[in-house]
Amino acid sequence: MKFLKPILSLAITVALVVFLNKSWNFGSPIPPLGKFLDPFHGFWKNAKTSEVENESISLSGLTDKVSIVYDSALIPHIYAANDNDLFAAQGYITAKNRLWQMEFQTHAAGGRLSEIVGKAALDFDRTQRRLGMVYAAENAAESMESNRIAKAMVESYTKGVNAYIQSLDYEALPIEYKLLGYEPELWTNLKSGLLLKYMAKTLNMGEKDLEMTNALKLFGKETLDLLYPDHEGVGDPIVDNTGNWKFNPVTLDSLPLAEPTELIAIQPMEKVSHEIGSNNWAVSGSKTATGSPILCNDPHLELNLPSIWYVVHLSAPGINTMGASLPGSPNVISGFNDSIAWGVTNAQRDLVDWFKIEFKDKNKNEYLSDGQWKPTRKVIEKIQLKGEKAFYDTVIYTHHGPVVFDERFHGESEKNHYAFRWIAHDPSEEVIAFYKLNRAKNHADYMEALDHYGSPAQNFVFACVDGDIAMRIQGKYPVRRKNEGKFVLDGTKTSNDWHAFIPNEHNIAYKNPERGFVSSANQYPVDQSYPYYINASNWEEYRNRRINKILTELNQIKPIDLMKLQLDNFNLKASESLPTFLSYIDSTQLKGAEAIAFQKLSKWDYYNNKESEGASYYEAWIRAFVPMVWDEISSSKVALPRPATYMTIRLMKEKPDLSFFDIIETPEKETVKEVIRKSFSESVAVIEKWKEEKKGDPTWADYKDGYVGHLLRQEAFSYHIKHGGNGSIVNAHSKSNGPSWRMVVSLEKSGIQAWGVYPGGQSGNPGSPFYNNLLDLWTEGNYVKFIFTADVSKMKEKELAVITLNPIAK
Amino acid sequence: MKFLIQVLITIAICFLIQTFLPWWTMAIGSLAIGYGMGNKGGVSFAAGFIGVGVLWFGMAYFIDQTTHSILTEKVNKLLPLNSFVLTTLIGGLVGGFAALTGALLKQK
Repeated sequence: MKFLKPILSLAITVALVVFLNKSWNFGSPIPPLGKFLDPFHGFWKNAKTSEVENESISLSGLTDKVSIVYDSALIPHIYAANDNDLFAAQGYITAKNRLWQMEFQTHAAGGRLSEIVGKAALDFDRTQRRLGMVYAAENAAESMESNRIAKAMVESYTKGVNAYIQSLDYEALPIEYKLLGYEPELWTNLKSGLLLKYMAKTLNMGEKDLEMTNALKLFGKETLDLLYPDHEGVGDPIVDNTGNWKFNPVTLDSLPLAEPTELIAIQPMEKVSHEIGSNNWAVSGSKTATGSPILCNDPHLELNLPSIWYVVHLSAPGINTMGASLPGSPNVISGFNDSIAWGVTNAQRDLVDWFKIEFKDKNKNEYLSDGQWKPTRKVIEKIQLKGEKAFYDTVIYTHHGPVVFDERFHGESEKNHYAFRWIAHDPSEEVIAFYKLNRAKNHADYMEALDHYGSPAQNFVFACVDGDIAMRIQGKYPVRRKNEGKFVLDGTKTSNDWHAFIPNEHNIAYKNPERGFVSSANQYPVDQSYPYYINASNWEEYRNRRINKILTELNQIKPIDLMKLQLDNFNLKASESLPTFLSYIDSTQLKGAEAIAFQKLSKWDYYNNKESEGASYYEAWIRAFVPMVWDEISSSKVALPRPATYMTIRLMKEKPDLSFFDIIETPEKETVKEVIRKSFSESVAVIEKWKEEKKGDPTWADYKDGYVGHLLRQEAFSYHIKHGGNGSIVNAHSKSNGPSWRMVVSLEKSGIQAWGVYPGGQSGNPGSPFYNNLLDLWTEGNYVKFIFTADVSKMKEKELAVITLNPIAK
Repeated sequence: MKFLIQVLITIAICFLIQTFLPWWTMAIGSLAIGYGMGNKGGVSFAAGFIGVGVLWFGMAYFIDQTTHSILTEKVNKLLPLNSFVLTTLIGGLVGGFAALTGALLKQK
């Protein structure tokens, strides 16, 4: 019996240790507490100061020494002796600062989030697998590996990332790994492919083919063209080259398509926000104070931490470039070098189609194509669930692509199966395009580099120290017949397939236009004389007009003027709708809060500045008005597309008696007047409630409540910010979307001057002062002046720390 | 007096062990010291608890001070208890039970 006590005590000790060494889930997940709280190795060790230590590290596979000089913003300036060492160093330093994010995003891209967060992510993961994200990334990785330059580049990058991963012990792991109780796996070329496809998905998946098919059936062709025109014909196209498209377009000789007459009860996937878009422009030297061109870019994406962008400077013989890179992918994506600058906005184009598939029987081994049964290919997707047994999903592939919707996934019955055709499934070599852009010296080099670019289609703005400015809308686009791609397609006839692609030399592009600037803001791309049919799920109608107006008016432009334009808060949408709204309100009848609201709105200058209250009242009003108009659409049993707000406002002015203005749940017959009146009262009530809850005035920044959220939606690592702007405004910052990177480059012959900022920080570590050091700058509308020199010795006084990578002596 | 000595030795030895080895190895250290000191069960538990608790608190406090609480404030929002309290408690509990086990093994 005398052994009982010590044994019992030992058992408790061991049980405690085991318990505290494991993650648990009691309703909410609990990290392995002993490991996590241990101040020698746990989360405490992730806390850092702004002092960064010099390091000297051996990295196998390097041929020469690489110096990585951090400047005071923790931007790495990488000086290498050759390309391979350069990309290994880019991989290493990016992983050192952003490893968790890189892996998390590629897990998300490849449908593997359930491994980390459990069953909650299963539907998301299945969607990713069924969209063929891995299939697309495999094709991308394969084409990278078949190109000599791409292969060396990606392999070096991967080697650098893995050298960092292999150097890690528990103490050095990013805090998210410690919190969730898992460890990083080795990086692969496939992961770099996945990351690019994830971006492509974000930019291509605003599509609404299923919803448009339902709308066609329910509303008929005439209403469809009224509510959802191919383009609204407002503002300037990105490229106006009327009468100068001097080529013979590729045409398809097959019959025009039969339009579908079906209703589809499938619940479509969650759409990407329409607030994702971007601005870019370049002004020619004739309009600037220095006589040199200035180029600007601000891509609008969901604003997260760690940020989607990581600023790097890459320098080696033959290359000296700087700008925003995507963690997980080599090269600079939006940036400049000694000779040129370039930037990107999304080209919007429809690059996604859905083909209805007819299977021979339930086994789905064969499907109908031109009267014959063709074999399918089945891929079994294993989705590992955290702490549970794996989930298996069989995805059927046809020649179109994977069958996303069927009776086992978001389907309605065994009848409707839709295969997914997406341009990003095709092999392509974007890494080569960026490799060459990073090294381009002039317009001809830029054009040649872009010939390698496939997807997601982008508006590439360009400027050069020799004075050229240009725009090219580059991507791989299927040649389409009129209306093709707007609705679901009959997958049993190969005549409906994508048969040809627009040749690169027919793509929309121009150089040095007379107006002295080029610009793009996701609007309709081209004048009416361009010989190919173009459509998209949406075009931008406001930002582009404001940008072009300002750029037309400005002369003797300085970089600061264009920073102001990037931060311009003028609400063109409000200026075109609020006067009509107000004209329907009889202000003599208003009392209390409504009278005050009316007054604030009448006096508002249409600027969504931080302190503006008018902006909040307007936003609340339009948010109440639009759904009230389209109640027929949101209450429909099948999914229908919501018309663009621009169209809603135009119809309000031009067709006040349109039947859609009737509110279906009331017995009365409403017109625009009643909807405006009703939505006004509703919006004022919303603001009053807000005021009561927040105990303050509804200034725009407070009402909007800007939010930059950690990728895990972990409140402790996220920030609320006060910033002006909104969707459809040049400063396109809505609650959680907006300018994810702002860049201004002055291409002076005496040396490039460049500024940039993004809402985040160079370090992905929430315990580092560099986690959010750029966020405040961004919020205040400030920029970092970049240090850009190919001469490492000039970095001496500007360095925060130097990391030296040494080859391992043989 | 023997109590105080056990506390101090626990702090010193566990500091050394933990500098190089995973967190749970401090339990082995605390157990061995508990055995070596031969205090009564309750005294040994208290010495182990306070020894490792003070060590963990001290280390955490040092990091917190040198990094201006940059991460402590964030992690406090994540955990059900203040991270200092939780760190001290968890370190202390494991250290205490290990020291108790050591003392009981000697007494048998």
